[in-house]
Amino acid sequence: MNKLPKYFLFLLLGTLYSSNLDPTFLVLNHFDRSLPHADSSLIENFSNSIFEFDSTFHLLFEDIDDYENPAASYMNTIKELGKKHKVNFILFNQIKHVDDRFMLEGQLFNTRSGGLIYRRKIDLMNYLNGQINELNMWVGNVTGSIDDKWQKNRESILFRDPEDIKQEKTPLGAAMRSLVAPGWGQVYSGKKVSARVWVGTESALSLAILISFLKYDEAVKSYLANLTLYNDTDDEKEVADYRAKAESDWDDHVKFSQLAIAFAGATGTGWVANSIHAWIVGPRPYKNIYQKWDPKSPNKTG
Amino acid sequence: MIQNYKWFLVTLLISVNLHGQVKLTVNTIPKKVNVKLDGVIIGKSPIKNERIRPGVHKIEIVKAGFAPLTYDLLVNPSQAVHLDFFLNPIYRIKFKTEEKGLVFELNGEHQWDNQFIRLDLEAGDHFLRVFKLNEIIDEQTIHVDEPKKFIYYLQKPVSEE
Repeated sequence: MNKLPKYFLFLLLGTLYSSNLDPTFLVLNHFDRSLPHADSSLIENFSNSIFEFDSTFHLLFEDIDDYENPAASYMNTIKELGKKHKVNFILFNQIKHVDDRFMLEGQLFNTRSGGLIYRRKIDLMNYLNGQINELNMWVGNVTGSIDDKWQKNRESILFRDPEDIKQEKTPLGAAMRSLVAPGWGQVYSGKKVSARVWVGTESALSLAILISFLKYDEAVKSYLANLTLYNDTDDEKEVADYRAKAESDWDDHVKFSQLAIAFAGATGTGWVANSIHAWIVGPRPYKNIYQKWDPKSPNKTG
Repeated sequence: MIQNYKWFLVTLLISVNLHGQVKLTVNTIPKKVNVKLDGVIIGKSPIKNERIRPGVHKIEIVKAGFAPLTYDLLVNPSQAVHLDFFLNPIYRIKFKTEEKGLVFELNGEHQWDNQFIRLDLEAGDHFLRVFKLNEIIDEQTIHVDEPKKFIYYLQKPVSEE
């Protein structure tokens, strides 16, 4: 106890029984900080366990890598503990905290040979109830009963795989929407002004196509009517009149046909441009960073 | 008789060879990552019950999109070793500023004065330092948790204050 004044020395001695034939374990927990729920968590998750406490044992807390033969360093002690508690294995767990990380070292000793047979070191960023979760995983790993929720709990704190990151809104989503209806992608991205501009432009161009087509259609019908009248009459004055009208209708039909084609081209190009614009201004994750220091403040701490 | 003797020798050799070896288990998050032991790929994670000799070994874990890991492992005799590796992803970060005349420094290593750059950064916290006319005008930590764009301003808009 005196050798470890900085540590909260918490020794949990327990024997885990699953049946008379199954291996039995003596569990020694040593944490540098208080983990008040560690014992209750083990009792809860390994329901066939019987626990006793002993705060006098501290031999295993030294770094066994310092020994010439680490696996056999505590042979006699392990054998004695095995006899005393009548167990097959001794499970030693140590948790140390360094900044925002913690290290769990688990060691499994065989009480018959006294040797170290299994060792696990985990260096992990701190997470909510992480120490308890990792302790459960390690003990579960040794006893062969790991709960999936511990694994999921551990994975929940890790940064996401870039391939798994799915944004709720994407530039492609914006582009596709704008391809369906001009301005929709911009609205989806929250760019209402540009959405209005695109809707207005495309509506105006579409209206121009419609007007040009109607004028073209009108010119064609008028041309055909005047052509019929021209063919049916023998009156020289009417012939000249219908001819002039038919020629004018012909010119109009050519003009409005060209205008309709031009406006259709402009509308199509604009439609595609609107989709590309929607992709460019599409929603992407961003974060604004503002100068933290207050330049006016003498200590610049802002 | 000679053949039986040979078999005995082979069996003895294998037994001697296996004896003193240590079981190695390697788990990684994410899974299916190439694991190299002393420069030789031993398979994709999870690796179970691979046998290694006691002594110092080098384990390398490499996966595209994640920061590579190299781990020196001292394997003691008569023990099984179980290793868990948590690979930290690398995200594509864009950094932009409309401000002029600023020099940025990240983690005390990388400097740039461009108004727009792309960076591949490991997930986590990074220390940003901003210089203007060779004087430090700002220091802060930026948290990288997904591919995103950072836009740096000297002043916060009145509406956000």
